[in-house]
Amino acid sequence: MTNSDIYDVALATQPEPAGPSGPARFGPAVLRLDGIVKTFPGVRALTDVTLEVLSGEVHALVGENGAGKSTLMAVASGALAPNEGTVEIGGTVLASASPEAARELGLGIVRQDPALLPDLTVAENMAVGVGYKRVGGLGRAVAWSQKQLDPWQMGIDAKTRVADLSVEQRFIVEIAKALALEPRVLILDEPTEHLSLEEVQKLFRTVRSLAAGGTAIVYISHRIPEVKQIADRITVLRDGQVRGTFEASEVDEQQIVERVIGRKLETVFPEKGGVSGAIGAADQLAVRSLSGDEFHDISFAVKAGEIVGLAGVQGNGQAALIRSLAGLEPTTGTIEVAGRALSNGSNAAAAGAGVVYVPADRHGEGVFLPLSVGDNISSKTLSQVSTAGLVSERRVLAVAAEQIKRLAIKTPSARTPIQSLSGGNQQKAVLARTLLSEPTVLLAEEPTQGVDAGARVDIYRILRDAADAGAAVVILSSDGVELEGLCDRVLIMSRGSVVQELTGDEVSEAAIARAALTSTTVRARTDADTSARGVKLRRFLRGDQSPAAVLGAIFLVLGIVVAATNPAYLGAFNINNLLFMAAPLLFVGAAQQVVVLGSGFDLSVGPLMGLLVVLASYWIVDGGNLYVGVALMVAGAIGTGVINGFLVTRFAINPVVVTLAMYMALQGIYLTLRSTPGGIIFGDVADQIQARVGIVPVVTILAVAVLLFLEFALRRTRWGVELRGVGSRVDAAARLGIKVKRTRFFSYVLCSFLVLPAAVIMMAQIGIGDGRPSLSYTLSSVTVVVLAGASIFGGRGSFIGILAAAFLVQQVLNVSPFLGLSQAWSYWLPGLITLAAAVLYAQLRRSRRRRRAAAPIAQVPPAPTSPARTSSAQNGSAA
Amino acid sequence: MTATLDRPAPAPSGAPAPKPIGAAESAWRRMLSGSWVGITVATVLLFALSPVIAPGSLGTAPLLSMLPFASVLAIVAAGQTLVVQQRGLDLSVPGMIALAAVLSTGLPQNYGWPLWAAVIAGIVGPGIVGLVNGVLVTFFRVMPLVVTLGMNAVLLGTVFFIADGTPSGATAELNGFALDRTLGIPNTLLIAIVIVVIAGLVTQRSIIGRRLTAVGVSERAAAALGVRVNAYQMFAYAFAGLCYGAGGVLLAGYTKTPALFLGDSYLLPSVAAVVLGGTALTGGIASVVSTGIAALFLTQLGQLLRSVGWQDALQLIAQSVVLIAVVLVRELVPAFLRRRASRRQSAE
Repeated sequence: MTNSDIYDVALATQPEPAGPSGPARFGPAVLRLDGIVKTFPGVRALTDVTLEVLSGEVHALVGENGAGKSTLMAVASGALAPNEGTVEIGGTVLASASPEAARELGLGIVRQDPALLPDLTVAENMAVGVGYKRVGGLGRAVAWSQKQLDPWQMGIDAKTRVADLSVEQRFIVEIAKALALEPRVLILDEPTEHLSLEEVQKLFRTVRSLAAGGTAIVYISHRIPEVKQIADRITVLRDGQVRGTFEASEVDEQQIVERVIGRKLETVFPEKGGVSGAIGAADQLAVRSLSGDEFHDISFAVKAGEIVGLAGVQGNGQAALIRSLAGLEPTTGTIEVAGRALSNGSNAAAAGAGVVYVPADRHGEGVFLPLSVGDNISSKTLSQVSTAGLVSERRVLAVAAEQIKRLAIKTPSARTPIQSLSGGNQQKAVLARTLLSEPTVLLAEEPTQGVDAGARVDIYRILRDAADAGAAVVILSSDGVELEGLCDRVLIMSRGSVVQELTGDEVSEAAIARAALTSTTVRARTDADTSARGVKLRRFLRGDQSPAAVLGAIFLVLGIVVAATNPAYLGAFNINNLLFMAAPLLFVGAAQQVVVLGSGFDLSVGPLMGLLVVLASYWIVDGGNLYVGVALMVAGAIGTGVINGFLVTRFAINPVVVTLAMYMALQGIYLTLRSTPGGIIFGDVADQIQARVGIVPVVTILAVAVLLFLEFALRRTRWGVELRGVGSRVDAAARLGIKVKRTRFFSYVLCSFLVLPAAVIMMAQIGIGDGRPSLSYTLSSVTVVVLAGASIFGGRGSFIGILAAAFLVQQVLNVSPFLGLSQAWSYWLPGLITLAAAVLYAQLRRSRRRRRAAAPIAQVPPAPTSPARTSSAQNGSAA
Repeated sequence: MTATLDRPAPAPSGAPAPKPIGAAESAWRRMLSGSWVGITVATVLLFALSPVIAPGSLGTAPLLSMLPFASVLAIVAAGQTLVVQQRGLDLSVPGMIALAAVLSTGLPQNYGWPLWAAVIAGIVGPGIVGLVNGVLVTFFRVMPLVVTLGMNAVLLGTVFFIADGTPSGATAELNGFALDRTLGIPNTLLIAIVIVVIAGLVTQRSIIGRRLTAVGVSERAAAALGVRVNAYQMFAYAFAGLCYGAGGVLLAGYTKTPALFLGDSYLLPSVAAVVLGGTALTGGIASVVSTGIAALFLTQLGQLLRSVGWQDALQLIAQSVVLIAVVLVRELVPAFLRRRASRRQSAE
């Protein structure tokens, strides 16, 4: 019998576990999970979990990181389908895993990683999150959202983009969103992680009043004191199994902790350095006046053989600090390793000095998922397995076999891709790699996150062994128990500085939590944006429309300058020509913008224009049939869009590859149809297309009207919000119930359809069936989109920007003959403008991100294999 | 219920052992992704079928006319492989080839450069442009697609500028070298083999190659290891530029009077060869040698289609269809196998 078994039995005999029906003071069960089993490749995340949450109770779910709490709640909320078992909400069985269905049945969830779309405003997010009807339509969303947010007094403006909010503010938005649904069951997943003490109390008051009103509340946390304070009943989850449900009043903190860990604390942690006398005399790592984006003026030292913990409420600069020590963030100040200063912000210099970093985001930063276990283990010490710069596969495997044996890594072979291993074994491989390089400084961020209890003990042993072997070890952890058991000293951080140091016997879970939480009460809400004018200006600059204003200004200045040197430039002919030639650009630019907003890409717009013109040249000719011609063009456009959209969404093929193949295929088709220009377009039709009002071509007016309409639709309709939502953050969009694939599919169809009018204009302009002039429009469409300042990664952008960019591009092309530029410039100008604009916007965006220090949610990549191990958002700021 | 939980402390990880992947599945997976087996089998089959479809298509003359083009494509696609490995896609291939051609032919003809200097310029020039691409992608954080699309236009403008609108002819020496054979093997093929083997050795067997793979799989993970991510990515783009340059110079020599925009027809085939060779477009694990074999496959397929009377325009369609078909098979078969495996697992 193992330790843990003893504790399971011992604990179960002391307090009487609450019976399945629950105490009488609560109502009937509102959420019932029955026999839930959930497996991921290589991992059994949940084993036969049964849980009942009653109306009016606060039911805490406690367990370590990776115990399966979040997976269980993902199953309950319909985000994950269980392999076995049923979910019942308010007496109705959840038929299929669908977040919407769960929401309909009255389940609200506040996730650790808020499901917010960073590029959308707070109001838009709330509208998507709670349903447009409840908000009263998008038009009323701002007022409605403001009303929901004001009671929290967090200074959140409903018109702000979520990306510009602080982590706490985002969390409050997520809570307000869930509460607005008036749920029968409310799940709070680690809700206090981001909040100050004051906010925590505010949250607790809200939770109690909700429970009093009959709502069932599931409260997930690994902070035991907090749980004791708020919960009526407590269910302990460990390694994916329920280890009992207890009345909160009948168990003490110690009992819960031991239940959660599964064994007594002493048996988990190795002897500390202070006890064994392994701590050396000299400072191995010395940090002096180190400042970075999220912390300032930090000084501390770590001796060889010492383990120092970093703690504090998440988002107070700990993560940035530990990353800075690894050279992954720019800093000022000094970092000395074994007496020698490192060059700041250089990961290679840090690695050269023997600093090794074990990241928290294992999937994103820790391992190379598709590579083998052997390659992962040797990836840091390639020179040990190479001769003359050539890597020996045999030696890689030999080293791997040795490490697999030494650290008891469970893997079928050293050749197995590491992604099929469980989290604990992946982490052991990372540590094997770390130990092989014999670190002088070992930095570990959340080393046991998403690791099962057994592997956790091994990892503690490995870390302590590394220290005993002479490394200075720094550990960042959000788990107080872990810090207490492992660290010789703990530094508490708040608002970017070290506010307290705990040594020796002071290092305890309670002391760490107290220090972290009390220090954050002084945290003031700094709302720099108080003056009304400042807010407006800043919002405009950060907004989607600022590029349009700049482009418009350049357009005018350029026109005036050229007109001053050559008055013919302002002649009716030239202006008419400029406006007419801008029309196809407006359409293809808008077409490209539609797909880019949904974070797609369409290279086939150019040749599609060519194909449509060639198709038209068989029917829209003297003696042909106009209607057949138009019908063919419409069919060609929509058909192309459907094929593009289908291949991209149904099979998840890279849109660039799909549309590049389409580019070539369309070119092949029109060249097969007409290898040389032919088929004179019917003159009357061409003339009508070129009709004008005064000097303004009708098609240009039409194009501007279409773009204005698209802009309106983008801001004010469900279509627009969902398209931007998908482009902004696809996993959150899916969790919010947006039909991602359908939205993307239709973006390709709409794109191709918008190419149609561009093709019609080009047809009138060249007057003959020839596809070749169309090819340059692919680059033009990209130029226009890039100039318009759309985030090429989707989510942001405006059609007003397209309007300004298209006119500017045409202006530039038009002025070149007036300036006597050679033909080479007709290639150089669009190319250089594209590159310059792309570089400029990339820099702007980067500096903006800089200023907005902690903004992780936009960059958190979805964990590729098992959602159970999706780490919290804290690591995202790295990207 | 499995008894995998609650192990004694020092025992190995408490999580259930990952299911070993079925032998059949792993064989499939190896065949379909990142391995030379699939494409080699396909190429051998294609050559075996060629005489059946078009008699005489494996004669000496057709082979000798096909191999130089396959060689150029193999060299160009080797460069594309390196860029795709870094999760980019190089759309500047046409401009790079055109630049190499115009430098190696135009400099001697219009500016009186000696041939050797012009050839070096033709190779190094695109290499420098590649480095610029790399700088824009790494330091300025611009999306590779936008960089290379814009750069292509800039290159075409430059080509136009240098040639002053009219193509120039390759010198007799360059033309002769490209047409010549050593021990009966076309020089172009020998050069392609040398480049592909060197590139293959560097990218797959060396420490540099392992780091390139690491950066391609995950920039962030590589950075956490202490790898100079930007330097490796710039190396990939610059090396790709050198490959395009070499391919462009050979092509210019072989075609004698290269059209100004002769590179246009190499963009899609270069991407297709990379994909056929098993390099994932999501970056990471790449094989230059497989890409080279795929280049041979594609060129022979084109030759075969031409010999049964398909025009060049139809070839474009055929290439697109092959590309999409291969990507689809790669996408669908593993997904199918996964589904079957998970059904089996849940049935247990």
